[in-house]
Amino acid sequence: MKPFSAVFSSLVNQVRAINRRYAKPQIEMTWFVKACLLILRLYLFVLVSLMIYKFVKTLKS
Amino acid sequence: MQEAVSTTEKARMGLPATLFYRFRKAAKALKRFGAIAGPGIIVMVADNDAGGITTYTTTGAKYGDHLLWFLILLGPVAYLVQEMTVRLGAVTKRGHAEAIFHGFGAFWGWFSLLDLVLTDWLTMITEFIGMTAAMSIFGVPAWVTVIGCWLLMGSMILSGSYWTWEKIALALCVGNLIYIPAAFMVHPSISDVLRNSLVPHWPPGGLTNELFFLLMANIGTTIAPWMLFFQQSSVVDKGLREQDIRFAKLDTAIGAVLTVVVATFLIVVSARLLSGQAVESAAQAAVEIMPVNKYVGTIIAIGLFDAGFLGAICISLASSWAFGEIFGWAHSLNQNIREAPWFYAYYFFDLVLAGTVVLIPRAPLVLITLFVQVIATTLLPAALVFLILLLNDKKTMGKYRNGTWQNVANISIVLVIIVLSTLYGVTTLFPGVLE
Repeated sequence: MKPFSAVFSSLVNQVRAINRRYAKPQIEMTWFVKACLLILRLYLFVLVSLMIYKFVKTLKS
Repeated sequence: MQEAVSTTEKARMGLPATLFYRFRKAAKALKRFGAIAGPGIIVMVADNDAGGITTYTTTGAKYGDHLLWFLILLGPVAYLVQEMTVRLGAVTKRGHAEAIFHGFGAFWGWFSLLDLVLTDWLTMITEFIGMTAAMSIFGVPAWVTVIGCWLLMGSMILSGSYWTWEKIALALCVGNLIYIPAAFMVHPSISDVLRNSLVPHWPPGGLTNELFFLLMANIGTTIAPWMLFFQQSSVVDKGLREQDIRFAKLDTAIGAVLTVVVATFLIVVSARLLSGQAVESAAQAAVEIMPVNKYVGTIIAIGLFDAGFLGAICISLASSWAFGEIFGWAHSLNQNIREAPWFYAYYFFDLVLAGTVVLIPRAPLVLITLFVQVIATTLLPAALVFLILLLNDKKTMGKYRNGTWQNVANISIVLVIIVLSTLYGVTTLFPGVLE
């Protein structure tokens, strides 16, 4: 049985390998794709901020 | 063997030979369709999961048949969205998670994968809530239901064959059709049902916040993020190729019809037997129908269990496939547990974790159900945007990329879903914000 630290470090290595493998997006980055991804980032930022706000508010009350 | 028969040859063959040729051609096509069909029907019917059954009974009880036209409208919408995953899977031979990692890089890949895992796990809890509630109507304790489900779900995949799993899943899909006889047992007025199905209109009282919330819930049960991941991975695991796309689309279309048919018949039942009652879950609906019509009440309970079971196995598989694709584990149902240990370990882990939460006394199950809706809201727009962009990538999709009309239809659908699901997510977080 592997110790927990070995399992954890193996997982971290796997994640690093995945990040390296998919470091560069393969889709053709047209202006439309770039615009869509930017809007998506903004959309998610607003939505996640709302969720965090609600979560904190619920915890406080 | 020569397949193509020219017009002059047909004319020379005579009528019996031409008929025989056509019959053989049709039989071959049917046989091929039989081999290809499965992922589309399963994903669409599994879409009517425990949460979906609850939404439909609530819709029928609250608004009668008045929203049938809206559900029928959702059938083509679901088809158009899911059909894109068929093409993407058959052409790229990548599951949806891998396609996102490959197309958009690690950041968006991890975002989609982790959001999917969380959404799937929370949705599976709602499936177990549905299954335990359904079986409690027959006096079966929750722990017996949960352990029984784990054993059944485990035995389904032990054969190490995709075909076996698919056949069992298709049998469960047939079980989902149980609501059809139930609708006939309540003797609805066919003309009323047809009118409410074909003529779009708002129910008495017009468009209110409550109605908007229920419409969103219906959209949410018809188009869910896990469905995109499940069908694409399923198409890849089954080994479908470009030439199979035509039949795989037909499979998806049949599934879309079935999902609408089941939803429609269930609404017809609850509209007749629960009209005006405040229904919060399908299990509660079954309990309240029992004194009025014990057969229909029993059918609703059995259907709820079947829906929860089918939903749980599909959703758990969607996550397992996604993890397998990204971490490079062996991740096919055609491999046995020894060949794909991590894939099956994750499948079981997901099921055990979700089932265990339901058994925890005083677990915040209502909060979990609400949380599912909000988290799914964050994933759905992202997943749909990625899908549209990938389907327009000429380099990857070649001649199978979206055409102009497909883009017009799909982009319109995606924009409407994004706006509505955002409103849904916001109103779930802040009830009354639209008042």
